[in-house]
Amino acid sequence: METTCGSLLLELQKIWDEVGEADNDRDIMLFELEQECLDAYRRKVDHANRSRAQLRQTVADAEAQLADISAALGDRPTHIKKSSGSLKQELETIMPQLEDMREKRNERMSQFSEVLKQINSISMELAGSTETSFVEISVDESDLSIKKLDDLRTQLLLLQKEKDERINQLLHLLNIANALCLVLGMDFKSTICSVHPSLDNTCERKSISADTIQGLSTIISRLKNVKLQRMQRLQDLAMTMVELWTLMDTPVEEQQMFQNVTLTIAAAENELTEPNSLSLEIINDAEAEVLRLQEMKTSKIKEVLLKKRLILEEICLGSHMVVEGQSIKDLSIESIESGAISASYLLEELEAQISKVKEEAFSRKEILEKVHKWLVACEEECWLEEYNRDDNRYNAGRGAHLMLKRAEKARVLVNKIPGMVDTLKSKLKAWEKERNTEFLYDGVGLISMIDQYTEIKRLKEQERQIQKDHKKLQGQLMAEQEAIYGSKPSPSKSGAKSLRPSTGGAASKRFSLGGAALQTALDKATPSSRSLHKKNPVTRQTLNSNHHHTGLAALSSGKKNVHNGAVKQHSSNASVSHHSGSARLRKALSPLSSLCSNVILQQEEQNMKNAVLQDAESGGYKTPAAATPTKRYYSANDENRTPKTMPIPVPATPPTASSAMRTAKTPFTPSVHASEQIEYSFEERRAGFAVARTLSLVDV
Amino acid sequence: MASAPPPSTGRELLSPPTDGISNLRFSNHSDHLLVSSWDKSVRLYDATANALRGEFMHGGAVLDCCFHDDTSGFSASADHTVRRLVFNYNREDVLGRHDGPVRCIEYSYATGQVITGSWDKTLKCWDPRSSSGQDRSLVGTYTQPERVYSMSLVGNRLVVATAGRHVNVYDLRNMSQPEQRRESSLKYQTRCVRCYPNGTGYALSSVEGRVAMEFFDLSETGQSKKYAFKCHRKSEAGRDIVYPVNAIAFHPIYGTFATGGCDGYVNVWDGNNKKRLYQYTKYPTSIAALSFSRDGRLLAVASSYTYEEGDKTHEPDAIFVRSVNEVEVKPKPKMLPNPAS
Repeated sequence: METTCGSLLLELQKIWDEVGEADNDRDIMLFELEQECLDAYRRKVDHANRSRAQLRQTVADAEAQLADISAALGDRPTHIKKSSGSLKQELETIMPQLEDMREKRNERMSQFSEVLKQINSISMELAGSTETSFVEISVDESDLSIKKLDDLRTQLLLLQKEKDERINQLLHLLNIANALCLVLGMDFKSTICSVHPSLDNTCERKSISADTIQGLSTIISRLKNVKLQRMQRLQDLAMTMVELWTLMDTPVEEQQMFQNVTLTIAAAENELTEPNSLSLEIINDAEAEVLRLQEMKTSKIKEVLLKKRLILEEICLGSHMVVEGQSIKDLSIESIESGAISASYLLEELEAQISKVKEEAFSRKEILEKVHKWLVACEEECWLEEYNRDDNRYNAGRGAHLMLKRAEKARVLVNKIPGMVDTLKSKLKAWEKERNTEFLYDGVGLISMIDQYTEIKRLKEQERQIQKDHKKLQGQLMAEQEAIYGSKPSPSKSGAKSLRPSTGGAASKRFSLGGAALQTALDKATPSSRSLHKKNPVTRQTLNSNHHHTGLAALSSGKKNVHNGAVKQHSSNASVSHHSGSARLRKALSPLSSLCSNVILQQEEQNMKNAVLQDAESGGYKTPAAATPTKRYYSANDENRTPKTMPIPVPATPPTASSAMRTAKTPFTPSVHASEQIEYSFEERRAGFAVARTLSLVDV
Repeated sequence: MASAPPPSTGRELLSPPTDGISNLRFSNHSDHLLVSSWDKSVRLYDATANALRGEFMHGGAVLDCCFHDDTSGFSASADHTVRRLVFNYNREDVLGRHDGPVRCIEYSYATGQVITGSWDKTLKCWDPRSSSGQDRSLVGTYTQPERVYSMSLVGNRLVVATAGRHVNVYDLRNMSQPEQRRESSLKYQTRCVRCYPNGTGYALSSVEGRVAMEFFDLSETGQSKKYAFKCHRKSEAGRDIVYPVNAIAFHPIYGTFATGGCDGYVNVWDGNNKKRLYQYTKYPTSIAALSFSRDGRLLAVASSYTYEEGDKTHEPDAIFVRSVNEVEVKPKPKMLPNPAS
């Protein structure tokens, strides 16, 4: 430099010398030169100064950062030897350190965020929100120490544990709910979905929030309640069912259907695990069955009631007691059905009544036996009286010896009657005293019956006495006459006897309604009608009134007549018409019993009609025309015809808007042949029944 | 129905039985109609809807049927069986058996028993509630004098008409013997017997165009009311052709009654005033059965050849349900005696 500057100066001096510059100018020039040089120096120094300061700053910054990071990481700050060298050396040593630290910090940060993320997600789940969109987690950079990290990790562990617990709890609850739903026959999925939709099996992540668990447990408790209720209901049903079964001896096959129901009777709540064992269907089924059984029971009870009633009535009938009408009315089925009286109450009532009646019947037994004997005796007495009046009784006809024997026995029996009546009366009085009630025989006081009987007997005796006296008188008269004329009229021609109607056989003793008036008149004309009256007290209250005499006809009876009423009625009817000598014919549309007198006219008309009928039959239908018209008529009359239905011309009815029934007598052409031996209905012919029968008849 | 006037014979039911109709009955609870037929079937119709609701096939011709309640009924068959039919389930079981074809069947609401009459000359009572099996359901067997032809029930009274013109009147509470034994007042074979709805007596029809009105009351005044009248006859060339009276049906409200004969006519009568109230137009063939519905608004008429003239070609079997006009069945009061005379 020196050289270059000095050479330059020398060159300048030479130039100046040559130019001849003044010294003064030379000085100024040199000064300027020196000044410029100084400025250049100064600038360089400033620049250097500035860069040094910058460098220092950088180092200081790096150091500060380093300290910060290590503080955040919780490391002990690394001491850096400041006096180790120049600034640049210093910077070179510090920068790698800083880089290291930064890397370390970033690593730590990522660890933190990881843990925090997990914590966050778990706590979110626990809180009940399952959204996966996470809020960006900010890590606090000021504290990234290991200790903090450990804290967070333990927190995470805790949370995880809690989550596991929750899940276990949830699964447990779900199991319980599932079991309950199964038992109750409910839809498990819909039930749990009502708590939280994620609980369904298809969902990966199940909600485990406290709310869910709470909801689930309430549902479970609800289900448990339902189960308990249903169980009790079912047990009740089963109990009644079993009761009804045993009550009605229901067959085992029928019971088997409801085995599952009855099995629940003894089961505790937790023992009922079978699917659908408490479903609504089963309960409904059981309910229906119980209803059915109960209905059956009531119907059976009704039956029993009816039977009991029959028993009651029979006992009453057997011991000639009148069933209390009130009680019978009360015991009607209608009152049971209307629910006015409970069936079991009725049954008890009936039982009580039956036992009462039985007791009474027992107490009456002795008396009733006596009454029976008495009645039999009375009947015999009647018969005897009738028999005694028969003039022909000693004729040696068929069975006369039997009659004689019977009469003999009857006389003995009749002699016993007063004694019987006395003992009966005393027994009766004792009975009535004991019980303080009147002894009723079929609703009539027996005492009054006996009294009536004795009264009648007394009257009869009186009459007999009078007759006897009369006879005696006659005898005397006769004796006187004999004394006068020397002849004695036969006593058998006494007027009293000749008036009596001939009572030929047993059949003519009974008269049908048709001959009633006539017979009554006859009866009244004879003194012997008394003897018929006598029967009244004995046989009153019997239901049938076929046997007939005077005004008391309805009451007087023929017990014996009940069985063959129809036949006898006809025969007696015939005998009556014969007796009176006029046929009784019905006018059409007039009561059947009303009589018409013209029998001859009727006969003629019948014959004519039959001729027409015969014509019609041979013309329209192929009939075996074997019988003559008259014969046919009579055979029809004998076999089929009731005398009452003989038709006859009708009086014209007044014209009205509606036409009157056709009741006029017209010839007809029957489409069925009455002359066949066995009649068959159209249906029998069609079914081939008729053919089969005739064949079998032929076989026989 | 508004478009065309209903045919004077009434509405004909669709899908009728394919052979003779033996009986038809309306239910006591609805307008359902139970029909038994010789085609071995029992059919259940809804008369108002004109629809077949059910059909049961039997082993033999079915001679009678009746309702139990609206969901079940009974049938009497020529194959000797008595069957119980449950309509809802289309189920049937044999209640029991006779020794011969079973001619008639009745269900008694009073006793809850089924009563059947057969050509084996017996009457049998059955308890339909007991489980099936003849031994259990049979309540009793009651011998009849002849083959049973017709039967009718009212309250506790049962009237049984048999061949040989016997009529037995029973009290259902004591079936051991008839309460009354009677002979038909008509001199020809009994076709049909039906009790009055008021329970005082019965009407009995014969094959010879005649109907007798009888009364249970045996007293003289009671018996004085009975009478008989002719019907279902045709005058032709001065002669009467007489037709059997196959069916009697009482109106449940007015107590008047309809008779149906082999002449194909249905007549309505007022038994108290002895008047014919109405005659419906002629049906194609014999009237085999009649039944009024529970309210008496409908009358079912079975127009079906009853084999009275043996096997021959005849009109198809049909069931007509006609609505009944009050004028046709309401009794007309007796003409008041003229106060002037």
